[in-house]
Amino acid sequence: MSAALAATLLRGSLSGNRWRSLLAAACIALGVALAGAVHTLHASALDEIDQAARVLAGAADWQVEGPRNGFDDAAYAAVASLPAVAVASPVLELDAPLASGEGTVRVLGIDPFRAARLQPGFLAGEGARGGEGATVRLDAGAAWLTPAAAARLSARPGGTLRLRGPLGEVRLAVAGLLPALDTGGPLVVMDIAAAQLAFGRVGVIHRIDLRLAPSVPREAALRAIAARLPPGVTLRRPGDEALRTAGLTRAYRVNLTALALMALFTGGFLVFSTLALQAARRRREFALLRALGLTAGGVRAFLAMEGALLGVAGALAGTALGLAASRAMLERFGYDLGAGFFAGSGRVFAPDAAALALIGGLGVATAVAAALAVTRPLSRLDVAQALKDRQVDLPAAPGGWAAPLALAAAATAAAWLPPAGEIPVGGYLSIGLALAAAVLAVAPASRALLERVPARDRPLGTLALAQVRSLPGHLAAMVSGIVVSVALTAAMAIMVHSFRLSLDGWLAGVLEADLFARASPRGDAVVFTPAVQQGLAAVPGVARVDPIRFERLTPEGAAGPLTVIARPVTPALLRGFQAQPAEVPPRAGDAVNAWVSEAAVDLLGWKAGDEVTLPLAGRRARLHVAGTFRDYSRTWGAVLLDLADYRRITGDALANDIAVHLAPGVDAAAVAAAVGRVVAGVPGAELHDASFIHARALRIFDRTFAATYALEAAAILIALAGVTSSFAALAWSRRREFGVLRHLGLTRGEVIRLLALEGGAAGLLGAGLGLAAGAAVSVVLVHVVNRQSFHWGMAIHWPAAALSVLAAAVVALCALGASAAGRAAVAREAVHAVKDDA
Amino acid sequence: MLAVRGLAKSWPGGDALFAQVDLAVAAGELVAILGESGAGKSTLLNIVAGLDRADAGTVEVGDTRVSALDEDGLARWRRRHVGFVFQAFHLLPYLSVAENAGLPLLLNGVPAAERRERVQAALASVGLAGRGDRRPASLSGGEMQRVAVARAVVHRPALVLADEPTGNLDETNAAATLEALRAAVKREGAAGVLVTHSPVAAAAADRVLRLAGRRLAPA
Repeated sequence: MSAALAATLLRGSLSGNRWRSLLAAACIALGVALAGAVHTLHASALDEIDQAARVLAGAADWQVEGPRNGFDDAAYAAVASLPAVAVASPVLELDAPLASGEGTVRVLGIDPFRAARLQPGFLAGEGARGGEGATVRLDAGAAWLTPAAAARLSARPGGTLRLRGPLGEVRLAVAGLLPALDTGGPLVVMDIAAAQLAFGRVGVIHRIDLRLAPSVPREAALRAIAARLPPGVTLRRPGDEALRTAGLTRAYRVNLTALALMALFTGGFLVFSTLALQAARRRREFALLRALGLTAGGVRAFLAMEGALLGVAGALAGTALGLAASRAMLERFGYDLGAGFFAGSGRVFAPDAAALALIGGLGVATAVAAALAVTRPLSRLDVAQALKDRQVDLPAAPGGWAAPLALAAAATAAAWLPPAGEIPVGGYLSIGLALAAAVLAVAPASRALLERVPARDRPLGTLALAQVRSLPGHLAAMVSGIVVSVALTAAMAIMVHSFRLSLDGWLAGVLEADLFARASPRGDAVVFTPAVQQGLAAVPGVARVDPIRFERLTPEGAAGPLTVIARPVTPALLRGFQAQPAEVPPRAGDAVNAWVSEAAVDLLGWKAGDEVTLPLAGRRARLHVAGTFRDYSRTWGAVLLDLADYRRITGDALANDIAVHLAPGVDAAAVAAAVGRVVAGVPGAELHDASFIHARALRIFDRTFAATYALEAAAILIALAGVTSSFAALAWSRRREFGVLRHLGLTRGEVIRLLALEGGAAGLLGAGLGLAAGAAVSVVLVHVVNRQSFHWGMAIHWPAAALSVLAAAVVALCALGASAAGRAAVAREAVHAVKDDA
Repeated sequence: MLAVRGLAKSWPGGDALFAQVDLAVAAGELVAILGESGAGKSTLLNIVAGLDRADAGTVEVGDTRVSALDEDGLARWRRRHVGFVFQAFHLLPYLSVAENAGLPLLLNGVPAAERRERVQAALASVGLAGRGDRRPASLSGGEMQRVAVARAVVHRPALVLADEPTGNLDETNAAATLEALRAAVKREGAAGVLVTHSPVAAAAADRVLRLAGRRLAPA
């Protein structure tokens, strides 16, 4: 095919189908924009984390890191004294709540002179604006701020910064700014000893930044350092933070991207439907071109070019839209995509050009694939017949049950594939295959279903049924589009409904106490001391208090972190956590009973009956895995220990949360008020009743899934717009048929009702098959994708009412769209319609 | 049966297409109207069918004054009393041959059993017995037009209108179609009007008129 011929045909085709072409490109654009925005937000977040980690590490080539609650600073002395270590700089790092209650700020406690040997930016340079230099820096009551922190806290040198610590308010004089550390984000830097004292962490550090001595072989140096470290404290490279965050957020990111790609997939179907319709309308034109000497390959190339043009237009628009949307979201919401993974400032905007090109390429490939699918029936075009007859449609695909059944079997098999990393590749493959099976089942299923519909003497119903039953090419393409969009929407609705009900039940079980106190709702600088715990237990009307302590650490040999939840373990609590088995077994030897979350089972391979070790407080604790429990709070592993065991092992008597059980028959409001007075003694601590926390968790759930709901609505609206547009074109192409029917005595209204019936029947067929496919996809989403991505088990719950509304809406909108299209088609005089040669 | 009196129609620009056209067709009579392309013969046919409006004059079929009916009334009247044969056959591709032929019966609410019986008879009368289950696409042009003839008379209309019914057919098939049309009109006792530019086709009619110079006159 020559370029001139291609250009002429493309111009005619695209301008003749302007709105449908725009709609098809818009679908591709939507999918590309969503995937691009998700990826850009995430890439920007990781870039900021990476930049911050690198600027703070300075010249450090290794870092020693331990659990979230820190480790004994004796390790610092042990490491710093090694000849292999040239410089060692201890760091205390915590998120301290602002006294105003308006969020937290990261506090770095450093030894200024040691830190400055690795990162001179810790020393005030020419850009720093401090009053009195080094003497101020060593002052226990002074703090230095990065410009980002100064801007966020509205603090100026000479002013006062007020934070909350476990012992009360911490007032710090702002001594100056550290402009060289600005890429580190909003930071408050103070002397480490002062920070340990102010925040109740005497003897504790979180990190040691290291530079190795150049003369010592690296492997030997690292071995020597590792030998001095207590269990649970490890060596890592400074750049590992971004990688680790990427690992933590991968499942969430991949799932959002998968959602975006599903929108892209729906867009691909609309491109298919658009091009199929155009191909059908131009069937005689293609036949003529074939008769004039254009090869079948030439026709295929033309349609592929048309698909590629739509794809490129959509990809370019989608990329621009994605970049604009991610930029706007960054400025408004920061990096948080709704799951609370990122707390960065949102100052870094770092689009990943290669990834965006890949996503755009995927958009183009989807459109081209859709176009090539259209060429399949065209290859069966009988040129002589097409030139002679005036039937306007593609040859209907023959379509038996063999292909869809084979694909359904392959989809079932793919669901059993193990994840690659934490990516549920088999699950997504299974979903793709299931959708393909549903699309290929459209033709045989429609035959099987409609052949059973009894013939009646109602003329409009009989005509509509005959049209849908014969399922010409256009209608098959339209029904396929409905099937895909309804399947995806129904699957997401079932998954979200199942998740919400499971979460609701889990919360009801987990929140078994009456009141819950949290020492530090934001940040980790404030905890409940034993005195406060005793004070709460002594409140009249309080039957029992359960202190809860959290620790986050990395088990030896594990790639990711693990949260330790220490609280009094009772059979009631185990039932609440849906533990298996939900009973406390007798202690097995020295090992302490522990229950591991589903994520720990998936990620660490632990199972009931195993004996595992955990580095607690610098010691290797032997644990007996007594069972598993459900944890919807984390996507990483968690271990539940009895508080008494934890305290015996660690000597740590602090608590982050306290569950308060009231005595039966007491005045709950009066006791809650008394408990509230004790809690108020801890600056920044909060007290809520179980129902408040329950409702808040569900509100957060709904907010998190709001984007999903919006995407679902967009997918269904796009599909319905596509259906209406397809019906409009189909009605136009059938205007001769309507002209004949009007000659035979059908009124305009009856012709419109006929189209409405056909639209409704196509909608019913699409909705029925879509719901069936959606149910299958939801099972894969719940039991494979969710389990492998987030490690959350849940039961399937069917939102019957919502699915009925969805199906009814699809049928009604198809009927309305078709009748609107019919109105335009019968506006033309019947006498002209039967003579029309177009 | 058909009585057309003083019919006039102008082009949208105002020039007269025809004027003072009178036409009477008896039951069981087939009348051919000859004329060049653009003479207005199809327009005349459409006015008779109630698909177009005349500027002046009346059309009566039996006791019905067609020109007095509104659009929906016309549609219902056509459904019951008119049969059409088009040049391009216009069979519905998604219906079988029998369903196409029985479409007017379906539209008129004739019960299925009676419908089946009458469709079989109609198809047999045009030489297509036993082909009812086939799709139109599998028929030749001549066969398709004979199905169209069967469809035009299956509901025993008062009026059968054929617009260039042999325009797309070869001689043999044209002759077969005209014979089928003539026989059907006679058998059902309908008033038949055939417009054509072909004198050969017109020869099949009982009477031939010519529309020329804005007037309808015996050929």
